[in-house]
Amino acid sequence: MEGFIESVSVYLAKPEFTGALGIFLGYLAYFSRYMLPIAALAIISRCVRSMLAESYEPEVWAYLDLPGGLRVPLRHFECTVGSAKSSDVVVQGARVLKTHLVLIRDEMGSWRVYALGSDAAAGINGVVIPDEGAALQDGDVLTVGNKDMRFFNLTESERAIIAERRTAPGKTISPYAMFSYVAIFQIITWFQQFYYAAPENRGSITLAFLALFAAMWIYFIVMRAMGRTGFEVEAIAFFLCTIGMSVCASSTPRNMLKQVVLLLAGIAAFCALGSWLRDLKRVKKLIKPAAVAAVLLLLINLALGTEYFGAKNWISIGGISFQPSEFVKIAYIYAGAATMDRLYRGRNLLMYIMFSAICVGALALMGDFGTALVFFATFLVISFMRSGSIGTVLLAVTGAGLAGFLALSVKPHIAQRFAAWGHVWEDVNGAGYQQTRALSAAASGGLFGVGAGKGWLQTIIAADTDLVFAIVSEEMGFLVAVLAVAAIIVLALFTVKNAAQGRSSFYVIAGCAAVSMMMVQLGLNVFGSLDLLPFTGVTFPFVSIGGSSLISCWALLAFIKATDTRKNASFTTRDGGKMRDRNEFTLRRERYMGADEQTEFGGYGDYDDYGDYADFDAGVSPFVEDDRHYLDGKSKKRRRGR
Amino acid sequence: MKKISRRAGFALIIAAALILGLALYSVRLFNDGDDWVMLRANQSVFKDGVLDTGMVTDRNGVVLARAGNGVFAYADDASVRIACLHAVGDYAGNFGTGALSAFDDELAHYNFFDGVATLSDGGGTVRLSIDSALNVAALNALAGRRGAVLVSNYETGEILCMVSTPAYDPNSPPELEQPAYEGVYLNRALNATYAPGSVFKLVTLAAAIENVPDIYTRSFECQGSVRVGGDTVNCTGVHGAQTIEQALANSCNCAFSELSQELGADTLEKYAKQLGFLDSLDISGIETAAGSFEKAEAGTSDLSWSGIGQYNDLVAPIAVLRYVSAVAAGGTVKEPVLIKDRKGNETKLLEYSTAAKIGEMMSYNVSYSYGTWRFPELDMHAKSGTAELGDGSSHAWFAGYIDDDEHPLAFTVIIERGGGGLANAAPLANTVLQAAIK
Repeated sequence: MEGFIESVSVYLAKPEFTGALGIFLGYLAYFSRYMLPIAALAIISRCVRSMLAESYEPEVWAYLDLPGGLRVPLRHFECTVGSAKSSDVVVQGARVLKTHLVLIRDEMGSWRVYALGSDAAAGINGVVIPDEGAALQDGDVLTVGNKDMRFFNLTESERAIIAERRTAPGKTISPYAMFSYVAIFQIITWFQQFYYAAPENRGSITLAFLALFAAMWIYFIVMRAMGRTGFEVEAIAFFLCTIGMSVCASSTPRNMLKQVVLLLAGIAAFCALGSWLRDLKRVKKLIKPAAVAAVLLLLINLALGTEYFGAKNWISIGGISFQPSEFVKIAYIYAGAATMDRLYRGRNLLMYIMFSAICVGALALMGDFGTALVFFATFLVISFMRSGSIGTVLLAVTGAGLAGFLALSVKPHIAQRFAAWGHVWEDVNGAGYQQTRALSAAASGGLFGVGAGKGWLQTIIAADTDLVFAIVSEEMGFLVAVLAVAAIIVLALFTVKNAAQGRSSFYVIAGCAAVSMMMVQLGLNVFGSLDLLPFTGVTFPFVSIGGSSLISCWALLAFIKATDTRKNASFTTRDGGKMRDRNEFTLRRERYMGADEQTEFGGYGDYDDYGDYADFDAGVSPFVEDDRHYLDGKSKKRRRGR
Repeated sequence: MKKISRRAGFALIIAAALILGLALYSVRLFNDGDDWVMLRANQSVFKDGVLDTGMVTDRNGVVLARAGNGVFAYADDASVRIACLHAVGDYAGNFGTGALSAFDDELAHYNFFDGVATLSDGGGTVRLSIDSALNVAALNALAGRRGAVLVSNYETGEILCMVSTPAYDPNSPPELEQPAYEGVYLNRALNATYAPGSVFKLVTLAAAIENVPDIYTRSFECQGSVRVGGDTVNCTGVHGAQTIEQALANSCNCAFSELSQELGADTLEKYAKQLGFLDSLDISGIETAAGSFEKAEAGTSDLSWSGIGQYNDLVAPIAVLRYVSAVAAGGTVKEPVLIKDRKGNETKLLEYSTAAKIGEMMSYNVSYSYGTWRFPELDMHAKSGTAELGDGSSHAWFAGYIDDDEHPLAFTVIIERGGGGLANAAPLANTVLQAAIK
């Protein structure tokens, strides 16, 4: 391998760009600057259109028949029943609690019911629901207060039809085009790097970009072959990784091979965590071990860590050094997210607060205040999502503020950074050293950059992690730098949109926490380097140089990907064909081999016609009594339309 | 589940904060990017703190300085390098008002759109309004004396000649720690102030024309000196009875003592200020030295001397040039500029009639007193000045303009401790102007 790279490097180092060729390539490099933001914009707008513009059809997993004869579909894996308007199924009546029952479906399609609170007024088939919940069967009667409801699971054919009808992404927006734009972006970036690089580095730069290019297409082709359809999240990650590759080529061209290996490791982590997340049962089993592992990792770090730039957040084992805190991020989110049954049954949040305090405290002890801040912000997101209480969040912020003041008084270098904030131009060679250089280089790049590989900012110490926004601004231009930030924001919009269709609160919380973590980190990195915030020195997701960070970002991406419920888009969804093989359906087929299930019907139509469930109220039924008949008519109409 | 889904909106707050931050940064970049780029550590513009991009040429495209990739070069011709030293400055940054320092942002060629990237990769070009050949002529005419020469086009405001001495060849700087090079980094044309001597009578004259009703009918008596407040104000000669025209042509101290007393310190200061002598001027962004005028008590000889350009009066040569340009242009000056084709704003300094009258008298100076033979083929309008320094030496001044549609040139010459203005500065002005109209 080394020999191969060596020979390619020697071969590519030879040609000198002189004469007409030199002039032509010079012009090409200059004018290709204007192409970069266009390609980047194409990537982002493709992803936005594909992820946000395609309407998702709501899923239905079971029904509850309410006392008034109303049939309410259960549209998530986890649903609440209660008198609160925000309940998934609103039931009003005497002694009905705001949130009274939680119904949870597992991957196999069987449902369990859990009663919340100590009130004995929740029953199943006339029996009080036990603490550990009860399995739900078709036709079971659930009682809350003075109201009875009947539960119906989906039949296999209904299930298959829903799977069939669910929107598959990529129908209106082709994923090929999306990756093609990323490829164009990669080619332009490579060319500029190649043109401006020192001749001896041309080989390694070319091979690394080739590997990135190949990795992307192989990933796409393999996933496509497996029947996957949604690729926007990955396209965004590959886009950002291309920028990261360019930063690496500018700052440390000798580490290009390492960067490729880390990228592959990141993709592997993404796929592994993604597949693992598919099965909530096993996911739940690992929550506690993940928390323990996170704490252990941090403790080991505290004991054995190496100090680097004032923070003791590195561990070196056998010549390989890594940042444990980056991996703790994954475990932190994994342990922080929770399924609904846990959410509503107390005590968990307290444990989580303690766990968070240990993590943030350990990071602060290491002197890594930037990462501690990122963890704390993520803690706020998770605790808000779990508790829904702004009060809790404000309390936490106040507490952290006090702790922050303490940190300021104890750690003089933190106080210094705060003092320099907003005054960097008054001390350009002291406290404002990095920020003024970042601003100067970023402005020099204008909107289109001076050319990838032509900048100088990477020569400033730690610029390729802390000042990457400015490096990208300088070399690829302000527009590409902004689009890199926009890419992460698009991930956030995507996650929030998916949350509405979310199957389990675990996915929703984890996805939101992961994307929030990325955004907070991004904000601290970008605005710290631009003197809009105090300088903290955290990484820009996917772009900053750093192996641990890159792998961790890909892993966090798996949480975001897992919120996607479109057909075949994500790890958490399966196609209908595979579902049919499941035992539970086989059982059900035997039990319900009735006539109506076997009759042909068209499946479910456009659920948008049902109106908004949020304002759903007992007694006002948007449904026709026999909704299957209704759906039949709808779907026929639709089929003709296609 | 619905609840949790709604809470996911929390992430949007963070996203909004990111967008807000980017918007704030964009505004700052738009407003301050040009300043940020000029950070000395910016290696796209500077090398080791030295400007490393761009080219300075004279008005005819003669390269005066160029830099790139760590190579700095000045003009090919040694005399051009010396003559343009102060206009161009040097890469070491010794000349604060040289083009290399004053126009470094244009040489860096920053714009919001492209940053500092250019196709040729050479930064920006600054084309000075200076004619390097004319500068060489002025340098030669100065012949080693200290001083400054300024020539401008009063119709466009472009400064065509700006030389300050002592100067040296930036390619082979001499030992500068010797008396001959004292104050060598100072551009005397813009950033030094001198006692103006009789040149200042043009200011007193402007005030008199507009404030003394019988100025044109009065007879000014000169007996060689006049007693004011117990002191004697000496004149250059015994001029007898004179009109105001003759008094100016004679540069009669008695007459201007009389006018100064009559106008008073307030009016004199007002005119000095109005005509731009007391403020720092903006010459294509370069700030010049502000002159000064100390108000003397009424009835004292100090007041008389202050109206004659002695006492504590100080003016910058560029301010004199600007004033005579205004007179030449009918009272409204095209502000002097140093960059070609960048026309200056117009500023009204004087009423047209006042300017015309002053112009007439400046022409009369030449025909009545200085001698037209000194300025062959030039329709010269001028005023000489010999500013006594109290130690027996004096600065030699000559300032004015030529009335010539083809060559609308204004000029100011000062020779430090150069003796009499007419004897020393006027021939120098003639030499430079002859070169300019060729």
